[in-house]
Amino acid sequence: MPPGTGLALAAWRARCDDSLVAHTSSPSAEPGPRTWPAARRPVIAGLGLTDLGKVYGRSPADFAADAVRRAAADAGLRLADVDGLLTSSGMSGGVSIDLQRDLGLTDLRLLSHMQAYGSTAGAMVQVASMAVQSGMAGVVACVFADSPLRPERGAGAAYGTRRAPAGWWGLLGASGVVGANPMYALAARRHMERFGTTSEQLGHIAVAQREWAALNPAAQLREPITVADHQASRWIVEPFHLLDCCLVSNGGIAVIVTTAERAAGLAQPPVPVLGWAQAHPGHYLRRNPDFGLVTGAASAGPAALAMAQVALAEVDVLELYDCYTFTVLVTLEDYGLCAKGEGGPLAASGVLGPGGKLRLNTGGGQLSGYYMWGMTPLSEGVIQARGQGGGRQAAAHDIVLVSGNGGVLDHHSTLVLGSEAAA
Amino acid sequence: MSVGPVQRDDATAEFFDGAAAGRFLLRQCSQGHLSEPSATACTTCGRAGLQWAAAAGGATLVSWAVSYSRAAPGEPRARTVLVIGELDEGPWWWAQLAGTDADDPAAGLAAGQRLRIEFRSPDGGLGAQLEPVPVFVLV
Repeated sequence: MPPGTGLALAAWRARCDDSLVAHTSSPSAEPGPRTWPAARRPVIAGLGLTDLGKVYGRSPADFAADAVRRAAADAGLRLADVDGLLTSSGMSGGVSIDLQRDLGLTDLRLLSHMQAYGSTAGAMVQVASMAVQSGMAGVVACVFADSPLRPERGAGAAYGTRRAPAGWWGLLGASGVVGANPMYALAARRHMERFGTTSEQLGHIAVAQREWAALNPAAQLREPITVADHQASRWIVEPFHLLDCCLVSNGGIAVIVTTAERAAGLAQPPVPVLGWAQAHPGHYLRRNPDFGLVTGAASAGPAALAMAQVALAEVDVLELYDCYTFTVLVTLEDYGLCAKGEGGPLAASGVLGPGGKLRLNTGGGQLSGYYMWGMTPLSEGVIQARGQGGGRQAAAHDIVLVSGNGGVLDHHSTLVLGSEAAA
Repeated sequence: MSVGPVQRDDATAEFFDGAAAGRFLLRQCSQGHLSEPSATACTTCGRAGLQWAAAAGGATLVSWAVSYSRAAPGEPRARTVLVIGELDEGPWWWAQLAGTDADDPAAGLAAGQRLRIEFRSPDGGLGAQLEPVPVFVLV
């Protein structure tokens, strides 16, 4: 045993004992970003959206570079002020840390590619927040871009990647379980079986989000729909109709994370990042009693709110990841907006849409707005927190809860964003 | 829809040898815990060094979905019932439900119904490179 190890171990044990005592004797919330000095408090200072939707002829890398430039300009920063870059891409890839070179960024202090599927956008903001909090970097751009759509093929074919039919993945495909649609359909059916959730209840989510999309000039689908339209839309994989499923979009979105101190003199109202958490239950394609019933949102949501020192009742706006209507429903339950199993009745109770009391997916989400993975709820969350939502702006927007979801309800990220007033 | 073609690789060779003999193989650790066939460490205790062990073939229905094939406008779309079955040994498996009514393939399904694993070959039989595919049937 090297000399000194015993002493170090004893000191370590004493620290652990101290922290144990502190935790058990003081159940109050951990100090979070709200208690940090302005020089360390993370905020979102810039938002950049490229043209989104059926925008053809541009690569994911091109969209990503465009989005970062737009986000820096939106913040009132020079591109050269960016000293941290986090990149992410969709299933078609094409975005990497090579984006540094594309943008001509030199002397970065943080650079990485991140991938946690639909939870990545939230995860990037979390890493960026910790980077600026620690002083590792000062201005971190987080970007997602994808361009799966081609003019000559439909949305359904956009992700129809050809895997070599070999091994375990080949066997899954040979069994007919291909892509996200059947996996989420199996999850939704289990919820229906257990709790009596109905397709019509899911339809209310689709209808409400279309109503919000009608108020969002950037949304791809703005024609009103009814629950009857939802029911009449063709089956994709039962129990999902076409109108239960997100659309597919080309484009890119970036945000700029910096400190409250740095953001104070910039162009936009800063959006404080008040709390965050992730949850990765780890049961993909294996026995999981929670499958379709409870997701990582059930732990990440309360943890993020605790960090933010915010109660659920104080949340003004919800931007929830919506690859399918069902994802919204189960996330509402897991975040505690209703009791477990009552998401269906809640959705059908008239609380959704611009006329309801819940401000939920106010830009139309990925069902009707644009499909940019976790950047869809995040971008709308930033717009709402700033008060820049125009005809769809929520009157109260001090606390905005943003979710990201990836895999088949396997990866979850939560962000609690604030307005300037909430900081 | 029939099952599709699949080839073995190093990780699945023994599984498909079992399938060819009509046996659905699980992974078993030195403590006797059983994990799904693709597990590389025991899902109960984390031990590596797993052996193969045959499942009895009985299962219960956890959930199901009905997928639709692509078809030309006006043409009927073929339907396939996809299910999650919980094997009596514990692990879950994702596969087609075979032997369903073509007109109403998901009629009467309910969680908890008894299933049995069988094996099917892709259309055209088993080529030199193609392996049998597990399916569930209602008992």
